[in-house]
Amino acid sequence: MKDDKKRYAMLIDLRKCIGCNACAVACKSENNVPLGVWRSWVKKVEKGNYPDSQEFFLPVVCNNCEKPICVTVCPVWASIKRPDGIVYIDPHRCIGCRYCMAACPYGVRYIHPTRKIAEKCTWCHHRVDAGLLPACVLACPTEAILFGNLEDPESEIAKAVAKNAVQVIKPEIGTDPHTFYIALDIDVVEAKQTEKKLREDKE
Amino acid sequence: MDTQVLYNIVHQEAFGLNIAIYFYLTGLSAGSFILSTLAYGFGLNQYKPLGKVGVVLATGLLIMAPLFLLIHIGMPHRAWHLFIYLNFESPITWGSFLLVLYPINCLIYGYFMFKERMKPTRIFGFIGIPLAILVHGYTGFILAFGKARALWNTALMPILFLASAIVSGIALMILVCIVRDRFFSKAKKVSQELIFSLGRLLAWMIVFDLFLVACDLIVLSISHSDAQAAAQLILSGKFSLMFLVVENLLGKIVPFILLVNPRFRSTASVIVASILVIIGIFYMRYVVVLAGEFIPLM
Repeated sequence: MKDDKKRYAMLIDLRKCIGCNACAVACKSENNVPLGVWRSWVKKVEKGNYPDSQEFFLPVVCNNCEKPICVTVCPVWASIKRPDGIVYIDPHRCIGCRYCMAACPYGVRYIHPTRKIAEKCTWCHHRVDAGLLPACVLACPTEAILFGNLEDPESEIAKAVAKNAVQVIKPEIGTDPHTFYIALDIDVVEAKQTEKKLREDKE
Repeated sequence: MDTQVLYNIVHQEAFGLNIAIYFYLTGLSAGSFILSTLAYGFGLNQYKPLGKVGVVLATGLLIMAPLFLLIHIGMPHRAWHLFIYLNFESPITWGSFLLVLYPINCLIYGYFMFKERMKPTRIFGFIGIPLAILVHGYTGFILAFGKARALWNTALMPILFLASAIVSGIALMILVCIVRDRFFSKAKKVSQELIFSLGRLLAWMIVFDLFLVACDLIVLSISHSDAQAAAQLILSGKFSLMFLVVENLLGKIVPFILLVNPRFRSTASVIVASILVIIGIFYMRYVVVLAGEFIPLM
């Protein structure tokens, strides 16, 4: 496979997710993510009333969009989309203006508390460049996360995306996300903390 | 169906109070500048006393405004990146040039005005008008580009910002003129005619601003679910007191009544109206910025 186009993508099978947070922990450890901020996390939502209820898990990572609004709004080209599709932030270029955070429809960006620059999940680009899988993919005990080159028809992810009903978060925003989900529930995506709970959490 | 969030992370605030203050100051500056050109650019001689005050305010405020940006950004010593690495799709890049060109133009315009050289004053006044409109209009685009935030992502945002800029600019100008005439002029007397004429201008700009706010709200409240949630947040949620009472009732409707009702026709009521407007527009910036990012996206 020489000189073929590369487009990385991730597929998370929510039917297999058990909400163990191993991906979030592995991410924190791999990327040195400080306290209080997250590159990936697992949103947990309960639907229905007990005992007729079910808990749903939504692991969130950066969508590394095809048309990333964060790259559009970055005034200094610190956020760039690499040819392989990964949206990367140049730590030496970023001025910490927070515009990408304001514009990102998925809220995956944060300002590093001491470095004062924007950071986010890059599908562990440093590992991918070295031929390894992202930390969350390796950590997942149920192998719910797939990662690979979507342009390569022989790859596991290309086959899985082709053969399953997949969904992305907020397709209506028009950013063309490349983190796909199987069995994504719209209520789980849209569920918001109530104002009261938000205030309590912030305090 | 009952859905309840059991766990989710708390997101950092992207734009905060500093950005609201920055928008407020550029708005005041653009409003003052446009008023100052009424006499020196467009030849409306009854507004001649505003010319010099206007340009001094416009320049001073616009030199203050970017300081709040420097406080806001995490890496202020890298601010020069804005002029080297240019992304012309980003409103902040447009702004970094406008924020340099506009105050320089203000200084040149002011210099010729104080030297009483009318022809160049007029020319730089006319160059300054589009700059003033852009320097505040682009801040509307900054918010409008936040495309997942229902309260921000509207084409009305730049024009809404401009209308409120002119409203706050007129109110500030009224107060500054009154203070100048009362305490620093030879006559120590306030020019009633000028104040009332500015007051009438303010009243009708308030009507225009209210009209735009109403347009925005009406469309928000029937649009998609995020937009409805945003409308609900400012109409009956956490920001309702600020939005309905401080921004619109005290900041627009009460001043409008004070300004147009002949029973209240006095300098004192114009002063009260102007102070209310200035506070109200500050809360407008605050509500737009803070309420816009209050609802979590995920």
